[in-house]
Amino acid sequence: MSTTTQSYSRPIPILAIVLVALAVHGPLLLMQLPAGSFDANFHMFFASHYAHHWFNPWNEKWFGGFSQTTYPPLTHQWIALLSTVAGLKMGYMLVQLIAVLLLPVGVFRFARIWVDDRAASYAALGSVFLGALAFLVYQAGQLATVSSAALYLNALPYFYEWMTEARARSLIKGVAISLAAAAAHHVTLIFGVVLFAGPVLWVAYLDARDERVSGSVGGVLSRAAVFAVLVGAGVGLVLLPYWLAIIQHPIHQIPIPHDSRANFLLNSTTAINYFVIPYGALILALPFILIRGASSRRLRPLLMGFWVTMIFGLGGTTPVPKWLLGRAYEILTFERFTFWATLLAMPIVGILAIQLLDRFRSKAAVALSLAAVGTVGAALWWLTANPYRSTGMAATNVDPVVAFLNRDGHDAYRYITLGFGSELAKVSTYTSAGSVDGDYNSARLLPEMTHYGSAQLTNAKFYGSAGMASLRAMLQHANRYGLKYIFVHDTYYEPLLTFVGWRKIETFGTGEITAWSKDDVPPAHKIESDAVPAPWQGLLWGILPIGVSFLAIFLELLLPEQRRVPTAAGIPVRAEPSEQHYVA
Amino acid sequence: MKFTLPIILVVATAALMVLALFGAGQAHGTVGIAAGSAVYTPKASTPEQALKNLLVDVQRRNWDRAMTAVSKTSDTNKQMFIQDWTGTNGSLRSFSSLEGFESRPLHITNDEAQMRVRLHWTTPVGPLEDVRDFRLVREGDVWKTVLPKVQLPSVPSQVIPVTYLRWDLVSGGAADEWGSKNVDAPHVRIISMNAVDSAEGAVVMGEVVNEDTVPAFVNVNATLVDGAGSAIDDETSFDKIDHVLLPKQVSPYRIDFPNINLKNVKNVRMDVKATLVPASADPVIGVMNQKIESDVQGKSVLHGDLLNQSGQTVNISHVVVSFYDNNAKVVWVADGYEDHALLPQSSAPFAVEIPKSVASKVQNFHVVVNQYSLGRS
Repeated sequence: MSTTTQSYSRPIPILAIVLVALAVHGPLLLMQLPAGSFDANFHMFFASHYAHHWFNPWNEKWFGGFSQTTYPPLTHQWIALLSTVAGLKMGYMLVQLIAVLLLPVGVFRFARIWVDDRAASYAALGSVFLGALAFLVYQAGQLATVSSAALYLNALPYFYEWMTEARARSLIKGVAISLAAAAAHHVTLIFGVVLFAGPVLWVAYLDARDERVSGSVGGVLSRAAVFAVLVGAGVGLVLLPYWLAIIQHPIHQIPIPHDSRANFLLNSTTAINYFVIPYGALILALPFILIRGASSRRLRPLLMGFWVTMIFGLGGTTPVPKWLLGRAYEILTFERFTFWATLLAMPIVGILAIQLLDRFRSKAAVALSLAAVGTVGAALWWLTANPYRSTGMAATNVDPVVAFLNRDGHDAYRYITLGFGSELAKVSTYTSAGSVDGDYNSARLLPEMTHYGSAQLTNAKFYGSAGMASLRAMLQHANRYGLKYIFVHDTYYEPLLTFVGWRKIETFGTGEITAWSKDDVPPAHKIESDAVPAPWQGLLWGILPIGVSFLAIFLELLLPEQRRVPTAAGIPVRAEPSEQHYVA
Repeated sequence: MKFTLPIILVVATAALMVLALFGAGQAHGTVGIAAGSAVYTPKASTPEQALKNLLVDVQRRNWDRAMTAVSKTSDTNKQMFIQDWTGTNGSLRSFSSLEGFESRPLHITNDEAQMRVRLHWTTPVGPLEDVRDFRLVREGDVWKTVLPKVQLPSVPSQVIPVTYLRWDLVSGGAADEWGSKNVDAPHVRIISMNAVDSAEGAVVMGEVVNEDTVPAFVNVNATLVDGAGSAIDDETSFDKIDHVLLPKQVSPYRIDFPNINLKNVKNVRMDVKATLVPASADPVIGVMNQKIESDVQGKSVLHGDLLNQSGQTVNISHVVVSFYDNNAKVVWVADGYEDHALLPQSSAPFAVEIPKSVASKVQNFHVVVNQYSLGRS
């Protein structure tokens, strides 16, 4: 019994936590479970382009041509690198696995800003089982969001150390990892400045004011400014082609509906999808998070960060995101905010875990384990139970479509798919033909798409009249774009194709997919665009983002952390008067 | 602070949620998703609310709850109710979703109300509108909708001999995808062309004829050219044409050029593309009882009946009409989709609106019917 007590009262080694993450997510990723997620094929499509054209971000396979500088490239470039030895799909899984393994390390290090090692270790362990993590990895396929958040959490402790202790190596490492995080996903960094770095700056200020750290208040604020300027300049340079692209072509897309912007109170399925599943058992911890977060002055910045992020994660359930974000509200999706909110809650959840363990021992361990497993299990169960998630296309073999496009000169024309969902990106990855459709809303420049409030043409019917109007507009200009072939996986679209002059020419497999053609369409020609990045931008794009990730790795290896001074067990929050110095 | 801040945050969250539900930040649901159920359901204390509840449940295809908004005095049952709203026999209605609606009262008393609703449907062939009148009655303190008996179409068992012509095409080789590239294209000719300005832009219209002895698949394209000889825009006849023309058959065509004024146009280049295709004269759809009338709003409308003379179900029929002036010149081409299937040997009404600007010129008209049958495209 004493052994059990001792084991509960010690921090869990970070290596053990990483191994738990590997044990939980490793098999699921090796089974390629995320391959069926919404965005997985999109990421593999981008990676495939980098694998073939590392220094040329102009991709003619979607939208008649678009620039991949409109999306930060780091995760895609890593997949492209790994794909040369492991293949595209396994490359994706490996990069996702790395992100999943980095996440608990980041949570542990981030949590140590607020709580002691023991609570931080339980926070990190809990992060492995987050419903929001499983949701993003296995259902949404948001590789970049997860990777960037993991990197960003690892950068923030350096930000704190630099502010409070003025250690140059913290500044260098913090900036490098922040730039890598931005290269993975710019949106995470932009919002992270407010939602994650804001509370860290606030607590550093409190620590300096209360003389818990060596730095003065003025020093903390001035060093924060230095850090911000360096990261801002770095992000400006590393993602320069992105900024140039977005300035040249601001997003003029008519707002596209997304369920994460819905009012969860008005639709039970949406509420389950975007609140119950991502939070899981954390819902039970919300009262504790609120009360415990409010009771300690050091935890209040974290609590406020959590609350604001949670409110954003509720999408249209409150008017706050719309008020604060303006037009950006219609472009963003909000499930990522829920993920960030759960990450921000983890340090306080770590305190809850150790309080429960101290009081109830084995019973608490069993309950916490069940809660953790139940949360991640529910998220995995929801993959099949979610009524919004179509699994019809995932079971369909698109290889005949790819083979059709790659034979007999069919790739001289453009094509679209109808009813393919995210499998459109899979077809695009493996065919040499180009499409006027695509699975990335921010890169669309063709007026037939931007003038309507709908996303992909392949999913046109799900966007009602706007979607069908967009599809009609595109079909009307089929000759202009060399759009000759349409692959249909949903008979819904057949009447339209029949009436507007297309004819069925081939049936694949057992008839799930049919190919349609229009006879008078001329071969596709290159669509002139002012969005083509200059060659120097391609060079920059091919060197800097991947370069900062290598730099961050080398800095971590060359400038290792100094060994921590062990902290006394049983002190849950770093607010005790006896604690004068934080040693990371 | 231990409890004050949590209370503030909880109250603020709740207040923001209430504001989103009822206030300026009210969010709208995503279209195209009919699953899920609303947590919040207002009570139908007015006829407007009762009708709204019913139509929202129809939108969500929440049939059980929709039936609770229907008066017991209605001459219908759940099955008929569902079929009325979701269509039968693979009709256009069965592909459609109710996207929105606007209602206005025609007559309201304390116990009874008459409402007119404009229904906005999203369909595979574009948005369609439908107008329906509903009667509502008050039962206790709740208003309910009275639905009339729905006449679902049915045909008796019978044998229909097929005597119509059919043209098959023997493909010459694997390189032929559809149509025949190793034989001459059917001889197709544009027999009339007229360019006019409309409220939406320039319109080029006319008629095209298949002069050959084999069927042709036809597309008409037009390019507007300015004074310098440069192309301003090029468009196609899209769905304003009957693409499959049997020998000697004539079809209207209309090509729209949105936001273009003809005063900037010097010339119109016409281009008709024809390909030999297999085709069948069956199913034959007869156009009966055609007449131009004014509706209650004073609009000129061509009414008529479509009679399916074959033994096959026509799931979706598309009417394309050319209107002529007294010089036999095509002054307008209009079209419309019918949302009910045509069962064998049965008929259904159709209506095509004539724009006010040309209604006075119309002396004659010619109707062709394009069709879609499941599994035969």
